[in-house]
Amino acid sequence: MRLGIVRGHLTLTPAVEAYRGRTLVVVEPVTMENLRAKNGKGGGKSLIAIDELGAAKGQMVAFTEGREAANPFWPAAVPVDAYCSLIVDSIDVG
Amino acid sequence: MFLARIEGTVVATVKHPTLDGCRFLVAQRLEADGSLAAEPIAVVDWLGAARGATVMVSTDGDIAREKLGNTTPARMVVVGIVDSAQSPGIARGVIA
Repeated sequence: MRLGIVRGHLTLTPAVEAYRGRTLVVVEPVTMENLRAKNGKGGGKSLIAIDELGAAKGQMVAFTEGREAANPFWPAAVPVDAYCSLIVDSIDVG
Repeated sequence: MFLARIEGTVVATVKHPTLDGCRFLVAQRLEADGSLAAEPIAVVDWLGAARGATVMVSTDGDIAREKLGNTTPARMVVVGIVDSAQSPGIARGVIA
């Protein structure tokens, strides 16, 4: 999983049936430098992820990419590239 | 699979239900020359890797699926803690 900051939410109308009722968030991946600085900045290339946890704007999440991103919907076939697996409370990087 | 250095720990209350009880660590991928990737990753750890340790990470979710069930989004898993490696970059004291 990579770490990213939620920058906003996305709605799609119309969208493929599999996306009905799903929440999409815009996530900006965080670099190690910004993570250590705790400056709220990202620094990576933004992407869209499915969120079922209710992450708010500005919160940090860890998101799964690749085939495993679709696992939570198994056995349904949902076209998903990235999935928010957890919302970060705190990170200790010394 | 690749090598990564453990940089810290992640605390997360809200997470996918299959991830309850998992230990999450922040790691940075190690390149062959000993340099670290710019972006950190969060990995699942069942082996007890400490901060500063060099570990091998697998990006195959099969291990996680076996332990956590078919619906788990866990993917990057610590599959071993490195004792020694014969690699020019890693020989420069990257391994703690």
